[in-house]
Amino acid sequence: MKGLGSLALALVLAFAPLAARADIKALTEAAKKEGELTWYVAHYTSEGAEDLGRGFTEMYGVKVNVVRTTAQVAYQRLLQDIKNNQTICDVFSSTDLGHYARLKSEGRLEKYVPESTPKISEAFRNFDSDGYFHTTAAGLVVLTYNTSKVKPEDAPKKWEDLLDIKWKGKVSTGHPGFSGYVGTWVLSMKKLYGWQYFDKLEKNKPQIGRSINDTVTALNAGERQVAAGADGSTLFSAARGNPLAVSYPSDGSVLIISPSAIMKGTKHPNAAKLFMEYLYSIEASKINAKHFGIPLRPEVPSPPGAKPISEIKVIRPTVAEVEKGIPEVIEQWRDTFGN
Amino acid sequence: MSVAAPAFDPVPARPVRASRFDSSWLLWIAIIAVLLFLVVSPFIYLVITSFQAERTGDFTLSNYATAYGRARYVDALFNSLKLGAASAALAGIFAVPLAWAVARTNMPGRGLTRMLVLATFITPPYTGAVAWILLAGPNAGWLNRFYMMATGAEAGPFNIYSFTGLAVVIALYSFPYIFIFTTAALELVSSEMEDAANILGAGPWRTMRKVTLPLALPAILGGLIICFLEAIALFGSPAMIAIPARFNVVTTQLFQFFGNPVRVEVAAAYAMPLLGVTILLVLVQRLIVRRKGFVALTGKGGERRPILLGRWRWVMFGYAMFVAALAVFLPYIFLIQSAFAKAWGRGFLLDNITLANFHFILFEHATAAQSVINSFVYGGISATIAVFLTLGVAYIVARRLIPFGGVLGFLCVAPFVIPGVVLAIASLLMFLKPIPLTGIQIYNTVWIILYAYLARFLVLALRPAISGYHQIDRALEEAARIAGANLFTRMRTIIFPLVAPAALAGGLLIFMTALSELTVSALLWSTGSETIGVLMFSFEQGGDSSYASAISAITVAITFVLMLLANLLAVHLPSGVLPWRD
Repeated sequence: MKGLGSLALALVLAFAPLAARADIKALTEAAKKEGELTWYVAHYTSEGAEDLGRGFTEMYGVKVNVVRTTAQVAYQRLLQDIKNNQTICDVFSSTDLGHYARLKSEGRLEKYVPESTPKISEAFRNFDSDGYFHTTAAGLVVLTYNTSKVKPEDAPKKWEDLLDIKWKGKVSTGHPGFSGYVGTWVLSMKKLYGWQYFDKLEKNKPQIGRSINDTVTALNAGERQVAAGADGSTLFSAARGNPLAVSYPSDGSVLIISPSAIMKGTKHPNAAKLFMEYLYSIEASKINAKHFGIPLRPEVPSPPGAKPISEIKVIRPTVAEVEKGIPEVIEQWRDTFGN
Repeated sequence: MSVAAPAFDPVPARPVRASRFDSSWLLWIAIIAVLLFLVVSPFIYLVITSFQAERTGDFTLSNYATAYGRARYVDALFNSLKLGAASAALAGIFAVPLAWAVARTNMPGRGLTRMLVLATFITPPYTGAVAWILLAGPNAGWLNRFYMMATGAEAGPFNIYSFTGLAVVIALYSFPYIFIFTTAALELVSSEMEDAANILGAGPWRTMRKVTLPLALPAILGGLIICFLEAIALFGSPAMIAIPARFNVVTTQLFQFFGNPVRVEVAAAYAMPLLGVTILLVLVQRLIVRRKGFVALTGKGGERRPILLGRWRWVMFGYAMFVAALAVFLPYIFLIQSAFAKAWGRGFLLDNITLANFHFILFEHATAAQSVINSFVYGGISATIAVFLTLGVAYIVARRLIPFGGVLGFLCVAPFVIPGVVLAIASLLMFLKPIPLTGIQIYNTVWIILYAYLARFLVLALRPAISGYHQIDRALEEAARIAGANLFTRMRTIIFPLVAPAALAGGLLIFMTALSELTVSALLWSTGSETIGVLMFSFEQGGDSSYASAISAITVAITFVLMLLANLLAVHLPSGVLPWRD
């Protein structure tokens, strides 16, 4: 089977460029006639999302209405649109996998597999086996620390190091009830080490913020020294000169991949498809890397300070595990940490 | 200044109903219709939603069972009530002495104090909370560092991540409501009553306690209630402080009901007790004010002389500067450091200074500059509409033109206590379909934001205006009527000139509140109608404190310039319109 699979892949790779180019040309013409699309997006930073929208307009002359907000707000608005039979959103990019599971089961998504799929790094391919939603953004939960307080050799090297008594009162995390990144991290730790991991972590009295990016604030302020943080926002802050660094845990950085999907009944089907193709382009990957996201295309270099994804040991719960597991760990978290 | 007290009990001395029919009824009906649309419809909508089953819409009580079925959820509600009470009490301690000193005494720096209070008011609560985390963080907060340096202690005494910490931060950014209402009331009290007390042998402190403050009590209570409600409905500061402090409040809990799956009906049910509490508070205020049989304020005719405090005036000044230090000076050190920092985590270093953050916001960011303009425009439009609406509604309520006018007045308070996110959802749900009869679709347009601003903040202009009407002697209007002036002439020549200052000052409050508003627009904006709040929210989400600080600094600077411009126009304005002037 594996042999057949690779053969099929090789065939696709051999013929895809030609076919894709022809398709994309036709798609571009049709998309131009539609003129615009609306993108509900919770991926990236707001500047990153705006930049990606602008890049698309520059490449294809099709306007993108970028509605960048949090995953919950984006979903909330989408649900209201649906209730009202309005199709405002053409492409939906949330960070919460649960949104896609539910939308897919309710038949709200349009099936479309981007032609350029074989060109992205393998880790990001084939997210939904039915082809309704596709990875368009990726980030990692890693160990982060304040470099003015912690020397690189003393920094934690694996997740269990956070349980060391020497970090008592010095650890920072986000809250799984408010952040999908944190939820996925908690789930992965539970899978690796059982819930005892968090019973022990609680003994170190971590400071719990809301978003995973609150760890950046806690470290920068010097309030805490080590954290389970996001690579993107930490490296972005470090690149500005803040005393932060990341440490890729040897037991696995938690890979968070976030999908995008085309909404069923979209008024701009061609523009939406073209946009999905665009998100897999080298240009989009470059913009993404500029804003400290992990580039989906392997030929685009990683952002400053980051290792290429191929050199990092990553762990990732499945869609089904996330769907079922996150509500559970939120409850467990509240029992252990008290809110 | 005459942002009169938000007395929640509009009972005129002589309830007289308009006796004969005239065309003015049409105007009243139109105004009432607009008011019902603005504040009553989301309220009723929420009540109905709270009893509906999720998919079918059938009647059910299960939302309430879910919302209150867990100790955790109920705890959050009690925490919110405690937080509201603590914040309001603290705000009162900050505000009332300052208001008294500014309005009634010869304390030095009265103008400065007013300015500083206003600066507090336009500081977004979120910005204040961030600054206070840097000041009073238990490990690295600057106050703790200074304390440890000074005393050699191992740890500092301050911990922002606590119930007290949160209550103080909220109080610091809501006390201006009490200050503004109370100074307005105190400035209407003539010195004669105080003189009487003095003659009977009471010293200045006793006079203040027994005479002056009781006269301002309705205003103080009104301000306390607004602070209480604001503390309950706030999301930003609790999210930043209560979560690390490990306790839940209503707004952080509500957020969970909007996760996946979304449980709007449960959220509506969960918000209901807040409305109950509001009703209770208004009734309590009514009882207190009534039982004491307050004499109406004597109007501006009486003589007002400042009370000479002697050496104590410097003590008062010290207190004023202490409050200003907590609310403005100390936080702004960090706001400015962060706004001008290349890397704010490096702290106060000369080579760490840059204008790049401002350049980014103003010239590079795709929507930031537009967002700032939008916020000022939306704030301006909603304030303007609110002022006109207020003049009409307050007249109806104060003159008892319709039965149950007082209820109308109360209903305007309701949207203020509904947490912004719930109000925003209610607005979304209401306007998914075009407005009945008109076919107008405001969903996904800027009008839905304006609608929500008006609904939420109307009370800030309305209550002062109602109080304003009560202070006008009806005889003036009756005289004009007898002399043949029709309603519109009376309005133009008598009513508006007398009440306009209160309403305009209320409008200014709305304008400034809208500038620092976050939760409503976060849900309701669409492409092209981003606001400062939306921008701050997204910077905050991304952990970009420097950008968030820069945008706060820009907002505060523009507001200050506008205040100065308004000062230039002040000679042409009725006295009392500008809350920062005598």
